[in-house]
Amino acid sequence: MNTPVYYQRGEYIETDTGNKVSRRAAISGPQNIILGGKTIISSNAIIRGDLRRTGPGHAVVISLGRYCLIGEGCILRPPYKTYRGVFNYYPMKIGDNVHIGANTIVEAATIGNYVEIGKNCIIGKFVIIKDCAKIADDTIIPPNTVVPALTLFAGNPGQIVEDLPETTQEMVESQTKQYYTRFQPYPN
Amino acid sequence: MSASIEYYCPCLAESPHPPPPHLASSSYSFHPLHNLYFCEECDAVRCNRCVLMEVSGYFCPNCLFEVPSASVRAEKNRCARNCFNCPICRNTLSVVASDPEAGDGRMSPVVSTTLGEPPFFLFCNNCRWDSAEIGITFEKPTGLAAQLQKFEDSAPEALEFEHLKEHFEPYLRASSSALPATAAHSHHHVNPITAAASSALARDVPGVGKYNPLSRSRVGRDKNAGKQEIPDYKSRVEIGTLGALGAGGGNSDVEFMRRLEDMSEVAKLEQRWVNSWTASLRSSDLKPLRIPLQVKKSKRCPACRHILIKPEQKSQSVRYKIKLVAANYLPAIHVSLPHAIAAMELMKRSSTLNKSLSSTVDDPSVSGLIPGKTYAFHLAFTNPLYDPIQVRLKKVQPVPVPSADADPEKARRVPFQVSLPTAAFGIAAFAEAWEYEDEEDMFGQDDDDLDMDGHGMATKDGRGKTRAVGVVERRANTTVVSGEVIITKEARGNIRFNMLVSYTYRSDDAEPAEENEDGTPSRSHAVNKAPEMKNFSFYTVVDLGAVVRREGSRSELES
Ligand SMILES: [Zn+2]
Ligand SMILES: [Zn+2]
Ligand SMILES: [Zn+2]
Ligand SMILES: [Zn+2]
Repeated sequence: MNTPVYYQRGEYIETDTGNKVSRRAAISGPQNIILGGKTIISSNAIIRGDLRRTGPGHAVVISLGRYCLIGEGCILRPPYKTYRGVFNYYPMKIGDNVHIGANTIVEAATIGNYVEIGKNCIIGKFVIIKDCAKIADDTIIPPNTVVPALTLFAGNPGQIVEDLPETTQEMVESQTKQYYTRFQPYPN
Repeated sequence: MSASIEYYCPCLAESPHPPPPHLASSSYSFHPLHNLYFCEECDAVRCNRCVLMEVSGYFCPNCLFEVPSASVRAEKNRCARNCFNCPICRNTLSVVASDPEAGDGRMSPVVSTTLGEPPFFLFCNNCRWDSAEIGITFEKPTGLAAQLQKFEDSAPEALEFEHLKEHFEPYLRASSSALPATAAHSHHHVNPITAAASSALARDVPGVGKYNPLSRSRVGRDKNAGKQEIPDYKSRVEIGTLGALGAGGGNSDVEFMRRLEDMSEVAKLEQRWVNSWTASLRSSDLKPLRIPLQVKKSKRCPACRHILIKPEQKSQSVRYKIKLVAANYLPAIHVSLPHAIAAMELMKRSSTLNKSLSSTVDDPSVSGLIPGKTYAFHLAFTNPLYDPIQVRLKKVQPVPVPSADADPEKARRVPFQVSLPTAAFGIAAFAEAWEYEDEEDMFGQDDDDLDMDGHGMATKDGRGKTRAVGVVERRANTTVVSGEVIITKEARGNIRFNMLVSYTYRSDDAEPAEENEDGTPSRSHAVNKAPEMKNFSFYTVVDLGAVVRREGSRSELES
C-alpha cells in the first residue's frame, strides 16, 4: 500500500511546484505545456506541445492538472481537424488526479478529474472523458467518443462496461496522491 | 496484487455467518469495501445486490442530454437526438454530408454537420460502415432520430409489442391501484405482468410451475384473486410468416448461406442480439441504433427504505446529496505479504540500470506461497471515524478442501492454519491533518521509528524464523497487525479464510447525525456527555494468494 516506487536519483527533474519530469521524456514546445504541480512525466513519454494552433502569440497546447501520471512511453498529442478548409490543432486539457498507463496514446480534447486510463490504450482525436471515468487496459476509443462520468469503458471500440462505485472520486484521489508520495528517489 | 480482502454483505439473510470462502459461489457475497453502503438506521452493511434501486434521472451517454422521464417512454429509452451506434461495431456514428468540400467526410474523423450538401448519411469512423450502403440517407442533418424511430415503430415486432402492452394496460392499472401501498413497496413485490406471464407460461408449457414467491407473504392473497380475469392474448403475427416480412428464417437463409463469399456478410449474433425475435442473418440488413439511455440511480436500504445514495440531478455531476458508504464507517483493511514485498525489492535492486526501477514486478513465483512453509502476513487497519476505535479479530476455521484423495484421513486435514492477534488493538482517530498532503514528511519519520523500536526487522524480513503475532506498526489513523499462516503440504489453490472483525466505537446516537463538509454524515462528532461505547462486527474474506508448487519456485527465494 505504501511501498515506495523508486527511481534513479537524477533521472527526474523536480520543479518548484513538485512536478517530476523524466530527463528521458521528450517534451516538445515546453512553453506551450502547463503542469499543475505534483505531476509525474515518466521516461520515454512524448508530449507534443509544439503542435500548436497557427497564429501569433502564446497558446496553451496541453495542460495537465495536479497529481497526474503520464506513464512510460505515453504519447500526448493535441487533436487536429480541417474546419472550413483550414487545418488546425486544438488544445488538450487534462484535469487533476489523472493517471495514464504505459504506452497509451492520447489525442483527446478533454479529460476530466479523477480519471484512470490503462496501459496500451488509444484515445482518439477529440475524445471527451468526463470525471471519475475509467478506461481499461488495451482499450481503443475512436475519435469523437464521449465517455460519461463514473463509467468503465473497455474493448475495441471502447464501450460502456459498467457503472463505477459512488466512492470512485475518493479512491482515485487517494491513490493518485499516494502514488506521488511513493514515487521517490532510490536511497543510495 | 497477490493478497486481498473483501467484506461480507449478508443481504438480509437469516444467518449472520458468511458462506465458506473456498466455494466459487461465495464470491457473490463478498465485496470490496468501496462498493458497499451503510444504513445507519439498521446499523448494517448493504451492497448493490440487496439495495433497492430507483431511477433518479435519464441521460444519453453520448450527447449527455438529460432526458425528462416524460419523454423517455415515447422515445423508447433511446436518445432522440443525433446519437447512433454503428450496427457493425457499436462505435458512435457521425453525420456526414455528401459533398467532398464539407471536410473530406470519409477521411477526416471530424465533420461539421452545419455545412455540406444533402443527402446526409451516418458514417462510422471505426469500421467505415455508412448508412448510404443500406439506403439510409437524410435530406437534413438534424432530426435523424425521429426519422429512424418512424421505421422502428412501424416494424412488425414493435407493433406487436405495442399491441401486447395495450392488452395488459387495463389490467396493470387496475391491479396497481388495488394493491395496498405497502405491498407496492415490499421487497418481495411482484409486477402484475410477471404474475400474468407466469400463469400464461404455466398454461402453455407443460411442466413449468407457476412462479409464486408470494405464497408466504401477506400480499399473496389479494394478488391471486384477480389473476384469471385477464383474457388470452392473440398474436397478430404468426411466427412462421416472419420470413416473408424480411425477418429471416427458412429457405431464404439457406439460399443466402449457400452463396456466401465473405463471412462479414453474415451478421454476428452479437450484432443481432438487440433485436427481438428472428432477425435477418444478413449484415446488410442491420440498421443504425439509436443510443440507449443511461440512468443515474438512487439506492435505498432494503430493510428500512432509508435512502443510502442520492446523486445530484446533473447527469455528469459526480457529487451526491446523500452518500452513505461503508468506507466512512468500517475500517479499511489492507493485506500484504512481507515476504513478497521483500522479494520484489530484491528483484528491483538486482535489475539493471537500463531497466526502469519504477516498473512493477508481479511474478507469481515471487509472491506465491510454498506448501510446507510458514508466512507472516500484515493487516493494515485504517480508521475512518473521528474517534479512536478498538478492534478485535477472530478467524473462522478453514474448512477442509474436498480432495480427490482416496484416503479420508488425508482429505479431512485442513490445508492451512491461520494465527491472528487475539488481543484487542486500538486505532487512532481520523484527522484531516493526516491526509496525504503531509505524508511526504511522514515517510521520513516512519523510517526513523522503525529503526528505533526494531520493527524494521519484522516488516522487512518476512523469512525470519520467529515472528510475533500482534501489532507491528502504528502511524496516524492506521494500525498494522501481523498474522501468521502455516501452509501444509496438501495445500493448493488460493489461501482464503473468513475473518470476523469487531470494533468498539463511541456512539452519539442521542444526537442526530451531523453532516460534514462533503455531505457525508459521520457518527462521531463530539457530544458533551459520557460516551456510550458501541460494538459493530463484520465478516471478511482474506485471500493471501495462490499456493505454488515447489518445483516452480525461484531458487533465490530459498537461499
Ligand atoms: Zn447485500
Ligand atoms: Zn444523445
Ligand atoms: Zn462501425
Ligand atoms: Zn436500513
